[in-house]
Amino acid sequence: MSISRRDLLKGAAVVGAAAAVPTAAEARHTRAPDPDAVGMLFDATRCVGCRACQSACKVANNLPPDKVSAENGGVYDAPQDLNGTTKNIIKAFADDTTGKYAYMKQQCMHCVDPSCVSVCMMGALHKEGHGKRDLFTREGRAAEIAGTGIVVYDRGLCVGCRYCQIGCAYLVPKFQWDEPIPLIVKCELCNHRRDPKRDWATKKDPLAVANPACCEVCPAKAVVYGKRSDLLAEAERRISADKARYNPHVYGSDIGGVAEGGGTSVLYMAPAGVGFKQLGLPELPEESSAAFSEGVSHAPYLNGVTPLALYGALAFVIYRNQKKEEAGEDKR
Amino acid sequence: MSAHDTPKAIGGKLLAPPMNLLLAIFGVAVVVMAYRFAVGIGPVSMMTDGFTWGIWEPVNVVVFTGIGAGAFSVGLLTYAFNKGEYHGLVRPAVLTGAIAYTLGASSIIIALGRFWNAYWLPWIPYWNLGSALLEVAVCVLAYVIVLWIEVIPATLDGAAESRDPKWAAFGQKWRPRMKKAMPFIIALAIVLPAMHQSSLGGLMLIAGPKIHPLWHNALLPTLFLISCLSMGYGSVVVLVNVLEMSWGAKLDQQLFAKLSKVNAGLLFLYTVLRVGEIVVKGKLHFLGANFPTVWFFLEMALFLVPAFMFLSPKVAADRGRLFAAATLAIAAGAFYRVDTYLTFYRPSGWTPLGTPYDAGWNYFPSIGETVVTIGMAAVGVAVFVLVSRLFPVVVVADRAHSNPGGGKVQAAAGR
Repeated sequence: MSISRRDLLKGAAVVGAAAAVPTAAEARHTRAPDPDAVGMLFDATRCVGCRACQSACKVANNLPPDKVSAENGGVYDAPQDLNGTTKNIIKAFADDTTGKYAYMKQQCMHCVDPSCVSVCMMGALHKEGHGKRDLFTREGRAAEIAGTGIVVYDRGLCVGCRYCQIGCAYLVPKFQWDEPIPLIVKCELCNHRRDPKRDWATKKDPLAVANPACCEVCPAKAVVYGKRSDLLAEAERRISADKARYNPHVYGSDIGGVAEGGGTSVLYMAPAGVGFKQLGLPELPEESSAAFSEGVSHAPYLNGVTPLALYGALAFVIYRNQKKEEAGEDKR
Repeated sequence: MSAHDTPKAIGGKLLAPPMNLLLAIFGVAVVVMAYRFAVGIGPVSMMTDGFTWGIWEPVNVVVFTGIGAGAFSVGLLTYAFNKGEYHGLVRPAVLTGAIAYTLGASSIIIALGRFWNAYWLPWIPYWNLGSALLEVAVCVLAYVIVLWIEVIPATLDGAAESRDPKWAAFGQKWRPRMKKAMPFIIALAIVLPAMHQSSLGGLMLIAGPKIHPLWHNALLPTLFLISCLSMGYGSVVVLVNVLEMSWGAKLDQQLFAKLSKVNAGLLFLYTVLRVGEIVVKGKLHFLGANFPTVWFFLEMALFLVPAFMFLSPKVAADRGRLFAAATLAIAAGAFYRVDTYLTFYRPSGWTPLGTPYDAGWNYFPSIGETVVTIGMAAVGVAVFVLVSRLFPVVVVADRAHSNPGGGKVQAAAGR
């Protein structure tokens, strides 16, 4: 007996049923920003590079210094990049052609549709407001609806797989490589510094859910904390007040362009003539990576129908074949 | 006929020099692993925040399970398409699969920073169904269990043939019951790998621009599924050839030639989809005088050369050539997988000219990482040898085959 064309077609049908056609992947759309989301607005035209935010972040989050020895002696807390002990950093970027440079603040972007949350196996990285876990109680669902959009980390459910590092386009989550009991380290908007006495339920006071130390300490008000919608209004106000000063686009939002990867809750303003790519921010498509990846992955499953149907069909065929074979043996 | 050849326990000394060597290699790996658990992953590896998975995920999980997919691909042919002539290949393929998948799953424990939290994985309310890795983790764990259940008939046969009457009775009693349950287990053993092998490709969808456009596409799940079937058929041919050389296992060249025609079809399908996507999505401009382009063509050649070899009657008739072609088919899948996960992964992505943007990280596997990977492979071979010596897994050729001590060992197994 040889493999006939029919057999190959049958084989192709099984392979096709399991893999299906990715072009039909329209199940998942990029999420819209939460109306009550909180975030930060960084204005690169205001930052003077004092790094007060960097020190304040370390103190507020109880992070050890990133010791660097200077050539002429002395030891400094001088991290080169975000790392296992640094959640916030100021970098200077120079324009290749003009030589003009601008300071840039890096930390978690608290994306509108975060890749890290999409990939995290048990929701150790979790976006408040995007219920993945607590959907089983009414209180849980209510809390999710009133979410803040902060991407929080739950060490109790993190297996340390580091898939978040593969997924994050901003290279934000960092891993403690030299710890036998390591953590994923990233900015959680200082939600541990929130003021529980303030009113979130009715007034949506942003300080009731978080209070980033970097924003509190910034002497130039280059970075401010607030509701994302308020920050967007503030950014628009600044641009319309002084058009010559700013790049018309606000990174992570629809102002003057398209929200990168579905948008972020940490928004960036750049000086006129300086692109965001020059500031180290990636150019991303409008669709979030999470929507693309989940859409393609989920489409063939048809909400679980495909595997069940495939299992049923296979069990039936194999059972029937075994019966036939046994009958054949009896005849002999 | 070939469909009903009975596998036999190989017997022989358990601790021969090759086995000692395998165990010694594994021993070194165990030392490295112990050190990793004491001090963290950083000191034993070259992994960084940029190249966070190193070689452990791409090789130990993605390639090992690809090789172990022989159980899936042969099972698909034997049971779903009812090609009884492949029956003799099932047991070695299933044992290889069980071992490869177990190694893949246990290697992950070493790579996980906070492995103890994996304890929560079976707790469904915590599942994030959007995560491809969750699908892989849960599905692979389930499949490891299913694979070892599939090994049970071999051990029951071993028990049934035991000289100890108690074991013989046990084997004879449970053998028919197991047989009745098998269709429902085998069906699971086809659905589960179809799911997680495609998810292994789906895992890298989210990396987007970090993977070179010639490797990143929406067909990743489909291509990984096809490549695992192809690797599976290749690994069965290689495995049985090796078994023939070492233990005189039965080898049906005609059967392999036929099996390899199926493999050729898969390799062509893969190539058409892969190249088709690049043409249709207008990615041809990424081809140029650069490293990714050269590597892309080498990879395509690695898929096409065995495909054409499998179709050639000369190769089909020649054991050595078919073996070589099957090895190339495995290499093709393995390279595709490692290239997607590692070789053409850069944390800051790629310029249109095919050079990576510098993000300040470089990666080449450390000695420690390599030792763990090789040690895992070594212990896999060791377990295969051990189980085949003790239990009827391998179909031995009809010609007289002396294996001094075989009876003794079998009796020992049945004790």
